[in-house]
This record gives sequence, structure tokens and C-alpha cells, in this order.
Amino acid sequence: MRKSPLREKLAAAGALFRQRHGVEVVSHFGNLRAECGAVRDAAALADFSFARVFTLPETPGIDLLDSLLAGNTPKIRFGRVLHTFLADKNGLLAADCFVANNDQEFVFICESILPDAELDALLGFGGKESPATDLTAGHVVLSVDGFKSWEIVKRIFGADIIGLPYLSIENYHFANEPVRFIRAGKTSEFGYLLIAPVKIAAQLFDTLKAAVEQLGGRLIGVDAHDALRLEGRFFNIFREGQRVGDPLPLGLQWMMDMEKENFSGSAAIRQRRAAGLKQKIIGFAAGADCPALQTGAPIFHEGKAVGQIVTACISYVLNRPLALGLLPLDLAFSGLQFRLDSPDGLVLRSISMPPIMPKSLTVKLDEM
Amino acid sequence: MTEAISQTIARRRQVIDTFKLELIRRLNLPYVLEDLHEDVSLLGSGLGLDSLDALEIVLCVETCFNIKIPDESISVLRSINTVVDFVIEQQDAKGGRA
Repeated sequence: MRKSPLREKLAAAGALFRQRHGVEVVSHFGNLRAECGAVRDAAALADFSFARVFTLPETPGIDLLDSLLAGNTPKIRFGRVLHTFLADKNGLLAADCFVANNDQEFVFICESILPDAELDALLGFGGKESPATDLTAGHVVLSVDGFKSWEIVKRIFGADIIGLPYLSIENYHFANEPVRFIRAGKTSEFGYLLIAPVKIAAQLFDTLKAAVEQLGGRLIGVDAHDALRLEGRFFNIFREGQRVGDPLPLGLQWMMDMEKENFSGSAAIRQRRAAGLKQKIIGFAAGADCPALQTGAPIFHEGKAVGQIVTACISYVLNRPLALGLLPLDLAFSGLQFRLDSPDGLVLRSISMPPIMPKSLTVKLDEM
Repeated sequence: MTEAISQTIARRRQVIDTFKLELIRRLNLPYVLEDLHEDVSLLGSGLGLDSLDALEIVLCVETCFNIKIPDESISVLRSINTVVDFVIEQQDAKGGRA
């Protein structure tokens, strides 16, 4: 099982670990409510070293990535980041990906539900002939997220970060080592991914942790990120992605370039698209007094089982359970009433997502 | 399905389809109606529209539904569904469908 280079530091800080797709991740630090609240109200630091990171030279990297990924790699402008996915040959989701056009290189970051060896086989990056360099073992990925997270990265890397638009990459230095810096949060608050060499990982982690705590924030794990992604209606490959598999009912068409010729799994996806959607996911909320919703629980409408919960969380902003459920198209509308588990079970209401207004939307960084 | 639920769905579907068609036309999006999930984020992540596109969305709502989105309500642009909620709410406030 792959482990983070920061494992000892995380364990010393109280992290509880679990395995996810062959990689050890930090589940939480013992207080999920406080961890979610840190992102919504202040800032939080999380170890994202579970992600695979590769670099490829512009040539032939641009064509190689374009042949694999659903998005259009040649259209990524310099300094910008594309959010797309990697599918297997059956057109089922394998990884949620960022691709960054970073000067002479492309930086490729994968949140994958495949074990490392299977992802390597799908990418075909192995072997001496491959133009890809795997940075995963020699680097850490740290995620700084939250309403005030910009203050932290500004303090450490300078005021230039204020001007970085969402989905962009910049190169900075920390302790004389290069840090690839990406603005690309998935919580709906400000968020930054820092890719740094292992030799400065501990020092960078300590610096960020101290800065986060100074602002009233804390370390958080992937459980908080899972809840925040659902609350902000960001796609989560580890939850609804893994459970549903097909990108079309998940509404991920925006990650695909419909006009490009081929990519991994494109034939199967196009075939299903041509046949037409039969189901899709929509948001649900339960009453404030309801217990947490369970993945896989059946959803009933007018006495009949019509769908199922595919991911769920407690929203600490709304103080109620939230979920995504898979429903037939003719019922996949917000504003309807359903029942959970049985025809007369708990009342669920389909809702418009995202149901919260993130605080970060009220901050205009470019006016600071 | 009860008549009331059928009517609720039909009304929402009509607002959604009208809005999506106009959005695709105005912004020249490479999608058909079915490709645009109603919860997809309009700005930033998701469709990745920028502030100029946001203005187009506001005009789109005005053209299609004769409803203005005031500056202080700009948060309704979070997704297609939140825009549709706003349109239906405004239609109801006006006492019927605009």
C-alpha cells in the first residue's frame, strides 16, 4: 500500500488513516464538523499525496494526453488547467484529472479509483520509451482550502497569487525548491494544490499548518473533503464516480470535448450518449432531525422504488443530511418529494444543487 | 403520477429547456439539451463561464422569461437549477407564468 511521505507528521497530529484504492489516506482528525467548518469559515490543510502526479514534455505530451483524456488538451492555454476525466476502454470512470499547461511541460494530476499498477497500465506511461515522468513518489501534494486560504498562500508565496484565476498554474519557490502551485479547489471555497519535492515536504507542511492554525483553521482529512464536495456539488470520483461509473448520468459531459475524435473509452461513451440517457443523479435533502443517509438506500416515489442514494453526507452549513441519488429521467427534477428505504419511510426532497452559497463567492480577490 | 406532480414537472421542464436552448445558442456551447445537467456549475468550475458570459446568462433570463436578475441576486447563477428556481419563484411572485 502506498503511503504519504508525510505519514509520521500526520499521525503525530492525530490523523486516522484508512486504505482507499491501494493508497493510505487520512480519513479525519477526530472532528468532522470542525474540519468542515474550518474550510467554510477559515482555512484548512489536507494531504492530497494520494493523487498521482506526472509531468510530460509539451511534445509529445500534448498529443499523448489528448489521446487518453476526455477533454481537449491542445486547447489548454499557457498557465491554465483543464479539469477532465480518464475512462477505461468501457467508457467507465477511472480518474478525475487536472492537466496543466506549465511552460514547457504538462502537469497531469489524477485522483484515481484504480490501484497504481492498473492506472499505469491504462495510461501506458510505463517503460523507458514513455515521455512521462512520475513525480508521485518524490513529491507531496498539499491542498489548502477555505474562505481565508488565499491569505495563507499570499503570505508564503507573495501577492501575485491574488491574480491567479480558478484553474491556473504558477511556479513558485519554497526553501529554494520549486513548488508547482495550482488554483483548483473542489470545496466551492478558495482552494490551492501545492506540488512540492519530498525534501521540503515537512518544512512546507509545518509552515502551512502554522499559518492555517493562526487563522483559526486546522488539518483535515478526506472525509471532510468528501462532504464539502457534495455540499458544493463538485464531482467526487471516490463517491458517486466509483458507484455510478458512467460519466453521462453523472452529468460530466462538460468535462468532455464532444467534437474530438477519440479518447480512452470514447466509443463506449458515444454509443451510450447516442442511445440516450435513462437515469441521472440529482440532489436530495432530508429533514434536520433525520439520521445520515446511507449509500445504496432505495428511494421511493408514490409507493414504488425508483432509484437509490449514491453518496451522502451531513451538511454542517445546512444542518441536515444531503445526498445524490440516481433517478429515472422523468423524475429527476428538484422540488419533488420522495421516501427513503420504503414507501412510507423518511421524507426526502429533491433539491437544486449546490444548496449553499459559499463565502468565497462574496470575496473579490482581484479588487484587493 | 398525480396530476399535481405531473404539472410541477412539466412546468419545470419547460423552464429548464427554454433556458438551456437559449444558453446553448447565445454562448455557442457544443452541447445538446441532454448534455447539460441542471446542477452543473455555470461559472468557474463546470461550464467554466466567465464574467462576460455571466452577463449573457442574465440577458438570457431576461429575454426568455422577462425577468431581471438584480445584482444582489447574482448568486442564483450557481447552476442551471438555481437559475430555474429563481425564474419559477419570480413567476409565482408575479402571479403566473411570464
